[in-house]
Amino acid sequence: MKTFCVLLLVFSCLTACKKESGTQAVSPMQPGNGQLPVLYRGVFMNGPYGQASGIAKVVVKDDLQQLLLDSFVVTGGPDLHVYLSKEVQPLNFIDLGKLKFASGSQLYTIPANTNYADYQYALIHCQQYNHLFGSATIK
Amino acid sequence: MKKILSVIIGSTIASTSIAQQKNVSDRVGYIDVAYTMGSSRNIVAASYVHNWRVGAKGKWQLGIGGRLTSSIGTKQAYITAPARLARTSTIPFLVVFSGQNIQNWDTLTVQRPWINSVNLSFNVLYQFARHWAAGFNIDVIGFSVGRNSAAILTSNGATRTEPLAKPAAFNLLLTGDLDHGSLNSEFFIRYQFKGKWGVRVIYQFLFNEYKITSIFQTAPDGTMVNRFRSKTNNLGIGISYLL
Repeated sequence: MKTFCVLLLVFSCLTACKKESGTQAVSPMQPGNGQLPVLYRGVFMNGPYGQASGIAKVVVKDDLQQLLLDSFVVTGGPDLHVYLSKEVQPLNFIDLGKLKFASGSQLYTIPANTNYADYQYALIHCQQYNHLFGSATIK
Repeated sequence: MKKILSVIIGSTIASTSIAQQKNVSDRVGYIDVAYTMGSSRNIVAASYVHNWRVGAKGKWQLGIGGRLTSSIGTKQAYITAPARLARTSTIPFLVVFSGQNIQNWDTLTVQRPWINSVNLSFNVLYQFARHWAAGFNIDVIGFSVGRNSAAILTSNGATRTEPLAKPAAFNLLLTGDLDHGSLNSEFFIRYQFKGKWGVRVIYQFLFNEYKITSIFQTAPDGTMVNRFRSKTNNLGIGISYLL
């Protein structure tokens, strides 16, 4: 039994969980959005699985096109991502990354050469459960 | 396929007949529970093994068994499964050592995979000291059930949502990427206590397979692909009880 306990202890040490690399907890960005040129914009509407409000804007900052979520608030959920999508319920989409904050202004870099005639929806989407929390049609 | 099954069945029958000629008590049966873990994945396996001692000294054991393997995780990457796309050769056994056609691979990220597979297994064990043994086992054929999950198919930089990815139902060992479904295999070292209990340290190689139902990968040859496989190396422990 002692041998078993020793083996178990050694194994536990060898396979201990490693710390997940997560987003650092920092204050919401203050991008100074009043000075940024706005190419497209849309107002967030609630999705079937959550409530979202605020304005989605495609802006140019540092020579990059970025999606600005302005005055933004969304109900909490697991694994929320920001998408640009061809459809309201995302089938063909570009994942701009995990939602940084549930409220406040925040910026997400958009890949170059994105065609906004195709990708005309900004979405807040729960990736793990495939649930839509909010959408904005950007025009 | 026929060759593999012939080899497995043949070796099992041979080991049985050898053991029966020698001594009926040379049969060794045990049950085992194992826990292994890998990157964002946990696996539990419960198995029954029925071995026969072979060889003059009886240090070798060959046998068959049944195993339930349950694998659960989050956001697991599955890649294009068919060997004709994933590998440079589709010859059984040689496929394991063949090159990888990475340019044909697409990735299916299954968001909440959970696969439970029940398979017939083949087992080999060698006792190299009084309390110590080394062994290998591999699933051969069986079936799987599990959780349907949303998934994301990434193909040539484009991402699409698959709302309903399902575990592949049928499992069959055909070697390497020719395999179908979910198959578990283990290398292990076992320490046998004086009584019936033993403990194993396990290195596991696990195949899992999901199928997509509403979108497909378009292969370079124009065919539509719906099978995606994850291969993971995991470490763990097991506890066994001699019957």
